[in-house]
Amino acid sequence: MIELKNLTKKFGDFTAVDGLDFKIETGEFFGLLGPNGAGKTTTISMLSTVLLPTSGEIRIDGQKLDRKASTEKSKLSVITQEYSMRQDMTVDEVMEYQGRLYYMKKKDIREKSRQLLEFAGLSPYHHRVVRYLSGGMKRKLMICRALMTEPEILLLDEPTAGMDAISRRQMWNLLRQLHGQGITILLTTHYIDEAQSLCERVALIDNGKLDIIDTPDNLIENLGAFAVDETAEDTIKSLYFHERDEAIEHLSKIGDGAVFRNTTLEDVFVERIGKRL
Amino acid sequence: MGILAVLWEKWREFRRDFYKITLAAVITPLMYLIVFGLGIQTTSHGEPYLNFLIPGIVSLSTMTGSFSAVAQNMSVQRLYEKALDQVMVSPTPLWQFILGQVIGGSLRGMYAGGLILLLTMPIRTGLIFNGWSVMIMFLNGLVFATLALVLSFLAKSYTDAPRYTAYIITPMSFLCNTFFSTDQMPMGIRQVVAVLPLSQTSGMIRSISGGLGFDPAGIVVLVIYLIIFSLISVAFVYKKKNL
Repeated sequence: MIELKNLTKKFGDFTAVDGLDFKIETGEFFGLLGPNGAGKTTTISMLSTVLLPTSGEIRIDGQKLDRKASTEKSKLSVITQEYSMRQDMTVDEVMEYQGRLYYMKKKDIREKSRQLLEFAGLSPYHHRVVRYLSGGMKRKLMICRALMTEPEILLLDEPTAGMDAISRRQMWNLLRQLHGQGITILLTTHYIDEAQSLCERVALIDNGKLDIIDTPDNLIENLGAFAVDETAEDTIKSLYFHERDEAIEHLSKIGDGAVFRNTTLEDVFVERIGKRL
Repeated sequence: MGILAVLWEKWREFRRDFYKITLAAVITPLMYLIVFGLGIQTTSHGEPYLNFLIPGIVSLSTMTGSFSAVAQNMSVQRLYEKALDQVMVSPTPLWQFILGQVIGGSLRGMYAGGLILLLTMPIRTGLIFNGWSVMIMFLNGLVFATLALVLSFLAKSYTDAPRYTAYIITPMSFLCNTFFSTDQMPMGIRQVVAVLPLSQTSGMIRSISGGLGFDPAGIVVLVIYLIIFSLISVAFVYKKKNL
């Protein structure tokens, strides 16, 4: 279980994360959503101990996480938004270095690395220097590296940023598989459809503060599961209804220029956070 | 052991960039030897100036080799590649990471110093280099690799590493008992320069090379520097809020 207790991070006068307080259960697929600059990456950086909190703390299975907490850190793997690896190493070297940092046996490093690179389609490139890999390949390599050590907790910071639609779907399938194996996953994303498709619970954050935390279904239900989009001049206004009949009745009153649809998590996001932006 | 993982990484880096590292280690010291030792042929204390210069250049090469092996690399890893994040989140204790970096850096410094010894071997100067010289070179490498680590944690941009070289390493190269004795410096400055680590290293290696042994106080000074820089780098890596 991951616990964030009044977690705060300041950079000078700027508060990037402001008193985050929530728990992620073991085996849960949890999404941290927010607009650009909301504090998602800062939170992940504190979970990976690259940044230390200004106040508050993080606990992993009840134990405080800090830079000395080797046991807790051995449970974690991180896939950062940036390609955080040596650019002058080969694919094989990146994998071996990871294995060595986690005290894996040489034989296991070789075997696991071969399996993962094959799974990710990177086997033909195992001798290639990271600098000469495409963006998609680097992303896949980061995933392979993170899975190398069979983590209990996987932290993913915008893992599909910049990916094409097919690669995104492949990534989603992979994450579902990992979740099926019991791995706790914390995903930050600004692709709301991604969070709706994958996450069991999501937290919306804005300006570093927690706005709401719940399951995607509950959040949608609370807003109203049915939406009618009204087009007026150059804007679209969405209205939300708890009952289908209510929505259809409203639609029939308006007539042309209105569309009926199901409410999405993106609607919740826009209603709760977008209106403040 | 995490130290072995870091040393393995340093070894791969050395193998990958072997020619670049070797050339960079040799060119500047070789120029100094050619220009000051062979080109301008003078004597110092009744002996060929080259005999004074070679121990200084060996010490200097050890310093620059170990400093550059850590400073540039760590700054790029921390600020540009973000590769340090991989280490931070791993269970490898960070003190082991520091120790691995420092030992790896020192070995690179010894390689650079060793190259100069090899290159000057045919000159037949009669200078003595023994196990004590090697130990002092290693200690000097540890000091400058640790200093490089401290500075790379302070760096705000990866272009800061060359600046540190310009502000710290270049002045030390010229002033610290490498090309001329610190005894010739004015009072006040002499005392300050004399306690700098390169002055101590050059002094000890030169003394050994002349068959005179060395003053163990020099070792104590280097160890004090090593302890101070190590404590600062450990404090940085464990306590610095934004690495």
